[in-house]
Amino acid sequence: MMNTSRRAFFKTFLSAGAALAVSGTVGQTRQADASTQGQIKGVCLFVPTLGKATDFVDLMNKNARGDWTVHPLTGSLTDNYFTTRSLYEDAKGTANTFVGVVDPATFAIVHEAIVDCSGCFHYITYEDRNRVTFSVQL
Amino acid sequence: MSNFIALPKGVTEEDFTKAIKEYRALLGEDRVRTDPASLQSYMKIMIPESSELHKPSAAMYPRTVKEIQAIVAIANKYKTPLWTVSTGKNMGYGSAAPATPGQIVLDLKTMKKIIHVDEELGYCLVEPGVTYYDLQQYFKKHKMNLWVDVPAPSSMASPVGNTMDRGVGYSPYGEHFLFSCGMELVLANGDVIRTGTGGVQNSTSWQSYKWGYGPYVDGIFTQSNYGILTKLGVWLMKGPPLGGYFPFLMKFPKVEMLADIIKTFMPLRLAQIIPNACVVVNAGWEAAGHFTYDKNGKGINRETFYKGKGSLPPKVFQEIMDKYSVGAWNFYAALYGSPEQVALNWKYVSGAFKAKFGKNVEIITEKEAKDDPIFEYRRQLMMGGSTLQEFGLYNWRGGGGSMWFAPVAAARPSECDKQMRLATEILNKYGFDYVSEFIVGWRDMHHIIDLLYDRTQPDEMAKAYKCFDELLKVFTKNGWGTYRTNTAFMEKVSHSYGPEMRKIHYTLKRALDPNNILAPGKSGINLDIPL
Repeated sequence: MMNTSRRAFFKTFLSAGAALAVSGTVGQTRQADASTQGQIKGVCLFVPTLGKATDFVDLMNKNARGDWTVHPLTGSLTDNYFTTRSLYEDAKGTANTFVGVVDPATFAIVHEAIVDCSGCFHYITYEDRNRVTFSVQL
Repeated sequence: MSNFIALPKGVTEEDFTKAIKEYRALLGEDRVRTDPASLQSYMKIMIPESSELHKPSAAMYPRTVKEIQAIVAIANKYKTPLWTVSTGKNMGYGSAAPATPGQIVLDLKTMKKIIHVDEELGYCLVEPGVTYYDLQQYFKKHKMNLWVDVPAPSSMASPVGNTMDRGVGYSPYGEHFLFSCGMELVLANGDVIRTGTGGVQNSTSWQSYKWGYGPYVDGIFTQSNYGILTKLGVWLMKGPPLGGYFPFLMKFPKVEMLADIIKTFMPLRLAQIIPNACVVVNAGWEAAGHFTYDKNGKGINRETFYKGKGSLPPKVFQEIMDKYSVGAWNFYAALYGSPEQVALNWKYVSGAFKAKFGKNVEIITEKEAKDDPIFEYRRQLMMGGSTLQEFGLYNWRGGGGSMWFAPVAAARPSECDKQMRLATEILNKYGFDYVSEFIVGWRDMHHIIDLLYDRTQPDEMAKAYKCFDELLKVFTKNGWGTYRTNTAFMEKVSHSYGPEMRKIHYTLKRALDPNNILAPGKSGINLDIPL
């Protein structure tokens, strides 16, 4: 069972399965390169203890049907840096949506991993002080 | 409506468009970015200011020294300032964002060559985009028994960036600038210079002899904006033989013991029995490393123990210390050498602490630590390993705000104790916790305090700024300089070192970069701002 804040995140995040509202950090609004419903081939990173993989898949499919793969970021923060790099590089050729829900420490690592692979963010949002959601361009 | 998210100060849209056109003719479209998405990552700051104040106008990715020379020529022509980053991991000090809005980020992460590693003499020559991890992988691949001293974000940070900001690490080679040898720089006029003996044709000692001839200039290119560093020599430590690395932890139960801890280890440090940049870590920092989740997915952090608005009361601190079994102070150090040397030195070290503290010290070696992740993180740092464990600090309070307040103390017990008490008092006044470590230099302490706060709360942002400001004022008044600071406070810290020092910094800037195109605002040096 998802808690309310988590459900709210995905509702906002994937509500139409289309144009994602962008740019929580820089205050610029523009159309993201998002996928349209039915065409999503998505990758979702998450910190496992923020939810179960099946919950994430179910909820994402409920809100934006597509082919979702979820990846728990297990292990140390060091491991998470290299795992994210690898997943992002893989996603470049195989997916069209790359998102995540993580804690602030993991986000600090994930952000740098993606930037170091020349990635750019659609948006970054602190849902609350302990939870960060983001979407990355592919 | 501008085509750019920001413009350099004093540069018109028309001129900036022309400049970008010339940059693109030089580097191609892909390596000159002005679109908001590409620039967003440079605006992810952790300091308590709006990212609008640090918004870049563009980002460029050169690959060669020749390209950088051509870039500075265009920059001079159109007066477009260049904010140089190597890998841009200066988190808590401003990250990769420029000090002032409108600068072009010159991102050198695309210059990634490990030019040379000399196993015989233990040094390397690297470009700015090479990370500590890249070097470690190189040693591994080539079966070299070499260690590079690392700062905490070792896997992704670069020796060039960290050394140029005079960062420190944790092994015997912890003072990074001290263990650098030879630089190559592009100056604002396009000249390329090599420091030390690098100017001698076919020099054989560029990375083995630091001083060269005549005035030694390497220092003026660190924490400065007088040149763009394109190559750096770094001295590497030979790994000790098997059994010749002995990390340990000593835990102390009372905050008041700091002075006695320092009194006990400094003679050992000065005698090189403890040869590394060891650390004395407070309970807040140590506990933050233990961030974990419970079975319901709820993170256990300071909020678990305390929901009040202010700083953690001492009683709660004690509760946290008990739960995680951390000391009020936690001293991490290591011994290096042959196994016989290490065994002998351990007798001196453990003997000195047992004699002083008796039952009030808990000694942990690898044997007792087993797979403790916090011990492992420190063990890695003191041997030049890869770990990003320190980022766990960002879960402790949450909200993505962090600033390092980094004063220096002479390594005297009473002085460190006074700094600790004053910092705690000021932080607590604003509702923040004292989260710190002392990194022990040769005769100094880098007193590193992480001012953690919630960037999503405007009132906390404002309080964090005021708190840092007061820390700076009070510490300066007590005669304590700040060794390094974030982009929000560079101007203020610069003033704390007195008008004569600012004058000489500006004199050098006018001589070397009269158009003020290299990183204006870095360390408070900006010709647009009067002395």
